[in-house]
Amino acid sequence: MYLTVSNVTKRFGTFTALDDVSISIEQGEFVCLLGPSGCGKTTLLRLIAGLTDIDSGTVSLENGVLSDLPARKRGFGIVFQSYSLFPSMTVAENIGYGLKIRNAPQEQITARVAELLEIVKLPHLADKFPGQLSGGQQQRIALARAIAVDPRVLLLDEPLSALDAKVRGSLRDEIKQLQRSLEIPTLMVTHDQEEALALADKIICMNHGVVVQAGTPEDLYHRPATRFVADFMGVSNLVPTAVIRQEMPALLAERPDGPDEQFDACIRPEKIQLAADPSGMATVRSVGFLGNLTRYNLDSALGDLVVETHGSLGITEGQKVALQIAPTDCTWVVNDGTEVSE
Amino acid sequence: MSVAETRATAPKQRWWMDSDKLLAAACILIPLIGLTLFFLYPMVIVFLRSLTTPDGTYGLGNYAEVLSSKGFWRATQHSMTMGVATTVVSVFLGFIIAHGLHRCAFRGKWLIRGVIVLPLLAPSLVQALGLIFLLGRNGLISRAIGIELDIYGFWGLLIANTLYALPQAVMIIGASLVLLDARTYEAAEVMGAKPMRQFRDLTLPAIFFALLNSAFVVFIITITDFGNAAVIGGDYSVLATEIYTQVIGLRNFNMGAVVGIMLLLPTVVSYYIERQSMKRQQGRHATNVQKFIPSFYLNRDIPMAAACFVVVAMILSVIGVVIYASFVKLWPYNHDLTFKHFNITLAGGYASLWITIAISLGAAAGGTVLIFIMALGLRKLSGGIAQAVQVLAAMPAAVPGIVLGLAYILTFNSTATPLYLLYGTATLIAVINFYHYHTQAFLTVMTGFRQFPSALEEAAGTLGAGYGRTAVTVVAPFVAPMLIAVFFFLFMRSMVTLSAVVFLTTAKLDVAAVTIMRLDDAGLTSQAAAFSTCVMAVVCVALGVMKLGLKLLSRSPKLNKAG
Repeated sequence: MYLTVSNVTKRFGTFTALDDVSISIEQGEFVCLLGPSGCGKTTLLRLIAGLTDIDSGTVSLENGVLSDLPARKRGFGIVFQSYSLFPSMTVAENIGYGLKIRNAPQEQITARVAELLEIVKLPHLADKFPGQLSGGQQQRIALARAIAVDPRVLLLDEPLSALDAKVRGSLRDEIKQLQRSLEIPTLMVTHDQEEALALADKIICMNHGVVVQAGTPEDLYHRPATRFVADFMGVSNLVPTAVIRQEMPALLAERPDGPDEQFDACIRPEKIQLAADPSGMATVRSVGFLGNLTRYNLDSALGDLVVETHGSLGITEGQKVALQIAPTDCTWVVNDGTEVSE
Repeated sequence: MSVAETRATAPKQRWWMDSDKLLAAACILIPLIGLTLFFLYPMVIVFLRSLTTPDGTYGLGNYAEVLSSKGFWRATQHSMTMGVATTVVSVFLGFIIAHGLHRCAFRGKWLIRGVIVLPLLAPSLVQALGLIFLLGRNGLISRAIGIELDIYGFWGLLIANTLYALPQAVMIIGASLVLLDARTYEAAEVMGAKPMRQFRDLTLPAIFFALLNSAFVVFIITITDFGNAAVIGGDYSVLATEIYTQVIGLRNFNMGAVVGIMLLLPTVVSYYIERQSMKRQQGRHATNVQKFIPSFYLNRDIPMAAACFVVVAMILSVIGVVIYASFVKLWPYNHDLTFKHFNITLAGGYASLWITIAISLGAAAGGTVLIFIMALGLRKLSGGIAQAVQVLAAMPAAVPGIVLGLAYILTFNSTATPLYLLYGTATLIAVINFYHYHTQAFLTVMTGFRQFPSALEEAAGTLGAGYGRTAVTVVAPFVAPMLIAVFFFLFMRSMVTLSAVVFLTTAKLDVAAVTIMRLDDAGLTSQAAAFSTCVMAVVCVALGVMKLGLKLLSRSPKLNKAG
């Protein structure tokens, strides 16, 4: 384990922001903290950075306990959502600031700044001030500033959220490339599951101040542990055990033991096969065209279902359809009472 | 490692190990000591002295004596009448001018904007002086119409106070008008509301608290002002002049303290209400306001423009006549121009002008630094102490200058403490000027700090910068415009203030505003005018330098805030 957070608890007054949270990051790993707003993910990142005091628990790096160190002595890099470049310094001064504090010689700073400007592909902006840059450029510079000091850990606090969609996509790819080539252990906070899926080696999904599930993106998407994760990681059809037993008992094959209320079936929309069938168990309520995908909303004996197919099946509203679901495509998730969104 | 062991190592109590927190504590502590020593302590002393009876015991004897004296009740009644009358007139005119500036379309607004702040650039008694030159026995207007007006007393004081308070009213009401979003008016327009209806339904409710606020500010300014009352009040005694009479005329310090406490009461109450209504107004602040650009309506804009320019003409003539009179050979008989009045030999000549400039520079520099480090400390500290400091920092505005001045003479002219060493020094005058205007300076800097994104500070911290370094390289450049504004605010106020310093000047140490009062008292009105002109010139230069500095700052790309 490179960076370890053990049993950390943080309260703000009576509100418990983090409740006995433990996570870890391996050398060179890209970890995403994913969760809805207010789940405690930003608080966790700030605790790791040393920007907020811990109530109980520890943060340690390679067995050295960090919790006592103020942020400035931890040697981390951080990128915030926005507004974090120093407005009174040029781009070059911003990037070189950490090295200057470390009393690096001027030639070394100049060389390092030039190198980093090349890396983030903005060498022509060295003498500009932050106010003259676009949002995407500012975040690139903020990234360069964070990695200029060869940080032991790179912390990213929703770095893409303030950008518009197109810039977000390209910067996302760049962050990934950069992290892979520099192999800096990285922790990124995000509420965007697509972003987490695209970037992370490991996703830590949080809700109400606790870690709900940690694992690879594939794990979290295909094998969510709870209704909350299933719903947060994309569209899913969640069906109670009793309904499955009555309508599609074959799907019970993989179900863990436990009372009916304990587990629900989770079936991703692309895992359901549709066929027009006048005696089918479902009726098409609406059809949505999403470009490469077609989305069908069905009324069925299993309840409301969402089905997505590549291309169109030529099925229209009001038609009866038959459903086919493989038992291996049905995962069982803990029923934590989460209401399905949408 | 077990859970229990991990928990045991949880760090918390070692804040004193952290040099940043030590620095923050020092940042709070130094200004706090200053506030305690130079504000709280003198105020306690003045309170105790008001309770000290002639035989040396504590009791309410002084209060009983003051409350049974006719002079006190007359002064109180005058102060209140004057306060209410000035408030009504100033808020009304202030609203007209602010509305004209922000919601009407006509030319020449730059002139209004420029002239309206003039009274702030001059010692308060300049309005009074100007009125005497215009409407006094030898006034230009009195002589022109051939009627001898009695300008000394209620009416003269009302006009002088109104001119003095008007800029504040215009600024407060204007600030709330700027915040009105053009889109709400467009929506009302589309829904069929006529301009008058829009004014009633949209404008008035939105600026209600600003009107209230400006009313209390004007009221405080009026009842605490000393300069105008001293020069043009005549027999119309008010509380501020009553204190002066008790202390300087009758050498009765304890009675002066009693009247000071009595003057403090309405001021503190007004100030409290004003702060409350200000909070309500701030709650309405919207971000992203679409600026309203008025279009021309004949029936509205011609009368509004006329009203605005009449007021502007009055201010210009009152202040202009002082400058003019300072160059006139023998007022009012010989209007040949001359520089001879500038050859001031009485009352120490120009020595007091130079010393006032030095004092003002000191108050401005020291004050700006103190306020800056205080704001830095408050950023790091939270909880009870921070709140107490904020309350304390906001208190001096509730204390009339003349009361603070009295408190200082009672405190520093006593050999009981080593603080006596400060008595009679220019340093003490710089100190009183800073604490007199502490609140406004503090609030300005805090506004700047509130706009400072914490991400900047955290980014600097994560990069390895300590708090001291962050303060100098990141925070200070960000709040530079506020610091410049505060520096010049303190400088300009120190140049012109009279009430707080009138008790602290000595035979050897005089300041500009007091010299003007002395010259006027001695009947040397032309020389008083000349001296006023010099003070105004210095302040105008300072204002120009400030505008230039702010302009250069805002032009530099550094200040185009990231985003």
